[in-house]
Amino acid sequence: MSLSTQYESKPTGRVLNIQHFCTNDGPGIRTTVFLKACSLRCKWCCNPESIHPKPELAFDLKKCIGEKECGLCLKECPESAIYVVDTDGKVRINWDLCTNCGKCVPVCPTEALYEFGHDMTVDEVLAEVEQDAAFYRESGGGITLSGGECTLQPEFCAALLAEAHRRGINTAIETAGNVPWEFFRQVLENTDTVLHDHKLSDPERHKQWVGVDNVRIRANFQRAYETFPDKTFIARTPVIPGVNDDEENIRGVLAFIRPYKNVIDYQLLPYHRYGEGKYGFLGRVYALKDFPSLPAETLRRLQAIIDEAFGRKVITN
Amino acid sequence: MNPCVKRIAINIGSGYLPGLDLVVAGAALAADGLGWEIVGIRDGYDGLLYPERYPEGGMVTLRPGIAEAAGRGGSLIGTAARTDPFRVRTTNAENQIEEIDHSDDVLEALRKAGVEAMISLVGGSAVTGLHALSVAFKLHRKRLCTVCVPKSVENEIASVQMAFGYNSVLSHTAETLERIRTGAQDVGRLAVVEVPGQYAGWLALQSGMAALADAVLLPEIPYDIVKVANALAARWGEGRPPALVVVAEGARPAASTAVAGPDAGGLRASLTPNADPEFGEGEHVIDRTGAMANSVALALQRLTGRDVLPFSLGHLVRGGVPTAVDRQLGLAYGAGAVRALQSGEDGVLITLQPPDLKSIPLGESLNRIRTIPAQSELIQIARALGIAFGD
Repeated sequence: MSLSTQYESKPTGRVLNIQHFCTNDGPGIRTTVFLKACSLRCKWCCNPESIHPKPELAFDLKKCIGEKECGLCLKECPESAIYVVDTDGKVRINWDLCTNCGKCVPVCPTEALYEFGHDMTVDEVLAEVEQDAAFYRESGGGITLSGGECTLQPEFCAALLAEAHRRGINTAIETAGNVPWEFFRQVLENTDTVLHDHKLSDPERHKQWVGVDNVRIRANFQRAYETFPDKTFIARTPVIPGVNDDEENIRGVLAFIRPYKNVIDYQLLPYHRYGEGKYGFLGRVYALKDFPSLPAETLRRLQAIIDEAFGRKVITN
Repeated sequence: MNPCVKRIAINIGSGYLPGLDLVVAGAALAADGLGWEIVGIRDGYDGLLYPERYPEGGMVTLRPGIAEAAGRGGSLIGTAARTDPFRVRTTNAENQIEEIDHSDDVLEALRKAGVEAMISLVGGSAVTGLHALSVAFKLHRKRLCTVCVPKSVENEIASVQMAFGYNSVLSHTAETLERIRTGAQDVGRLAVVEVPGQYAGWLALQSGMAALADAVLLPEIPYDIVKVANALAARWGEGRPPALVVVAEGARPAASTAVAGPDAGGLRASLTPNADPEFGEGEHVIDRTGAMANSVALALQRLTGRDVLPFSLGHLVRGGVPTAVDRQLGLAYGAGAVRALQSGEDGVLITLQPPDLKSIPLGESLNRIRTIPAQSELIQIARALGIAFGD
């Protein structure tokens, strides 16, 4: 199925979650709308539930009250993909047989079974976003679209951002840029701040850890910098130990972004494991499960390189 | 191809265990005896899915001579790791990565190669369950004539008394535990060793018994850490210092004794981790190597006031050479799978039921886990040996 038929014909967007009071997703206090589907497969991904475009089942073993007390899902599953483990009497999912039909979700009384992703209209999303309008006015905040890769739903995003603008709400997106240029352009038209990921400078290393090289991503970013000189771009790198925490990588990103005055900052996002448990919810294996955390010293060293490149005074103790 | 000659294929549908090539060799010997051709599919299903990666072909013809070198390491035809023909990760023309069902391509490639039936070695994993068995089951549902051979680290495959590879893993684990126990005993410390076993504690129990463990914590018997500490303290009191606690990775505390942690809020909260101040690293972690050993060791150190050393064997138990039991079992399972095909069987799993090899429908092992009954004789014998379970 081509991307255009997969996403553009939808009058609604496939939303994963709407998170209020975010302070790291653009200027001020923001409401971040996470959209489903991603075209990359970063091994450190902290939002694995956002990857696949369709709604998908998740299961939280802790919340299951077991077959004796309940067992409703066992009767509901048409694929016989739910079974009981004797040791604790609770159910498990055979993820290979599960087709994500979602029939088990409404019968689960404890929300041990849950469906990631649901369709929403522009008005439905904005009704929730506007609840915090007062905070946006006070802090200079607004709405941020994130994901997954929000630009994979270009028509919905463009409509949502345009309507947000019409209602006086500041707009931002978080993107990794691996989409056709036309998708990207369409979404950027009504975006004030573009938070964009430079995960790895080297195309081969990018392919190794992210799944595809970064040639089109860089071409999109470069074209965006030049096409939208009045928009604010903030480059970001999720810093993963042993993957992209080397000076060469950071300097490679700086060399790419510094010629453009509308790229006003380059931020480092230290690796965290918040998403690790969700792999278990989805029956998937976290590729970096035994990776160490990022040493604070590494982050300080890399940050100093960025500060120097942006001409900021570095304070050292 | 001579129309009288039957052509079959064999693959290793899941991960590595010592002596996998013995199963392949057993099948090759039995096929040769029938005058059949047998080919090995490289790296699970990759030989069919990515033929371009294999200049010498994604399928290799197996001759009976391979048996002479079998059992000395390696799997001969490679293992599948996490390849799944129903969810093949691909990059499309628009540079988007997506997971596509290529199972029909697998079936078509087999048909073109003249393969009439498939033998698949299947096993499980703590996170994904009996993934390889499920894949074989789904291919069988698509009318691929299939016979499966069980292989497992944890020996948890339902209706299978002894999966291939378990005996080697058990021997290797017991030997390693013995080394740790004697070392710890000599310096007056207590070692807490985590071994594989997410749902079933066979490996923890049997290796713990073999290595004279002082306590064994199993998924089947929820433990009270205070009772474990008391049992160990009694040993110190008797002048027989304890040295070894074996913990299955899926061991769990009894509900009434579980240390209350912050309520992470489960699935909804997992969507917004930073929004919930109570949500922290580790709360949802279920699959980090050594997590059980660390938490049990910490608790026992607090309760006993003694130095406690956590260890995790993890992948180490998959190494080494196959035992004599697994050598004969592997060859037998391979040959038994060919004999099952010869008998016209389809959609079955070969299982050892001494002194016979039997066939059971794949569905009998799907969605079931073979666990240790808490009141079984094996548990009672372990208690008689002085092993504490913390219950």
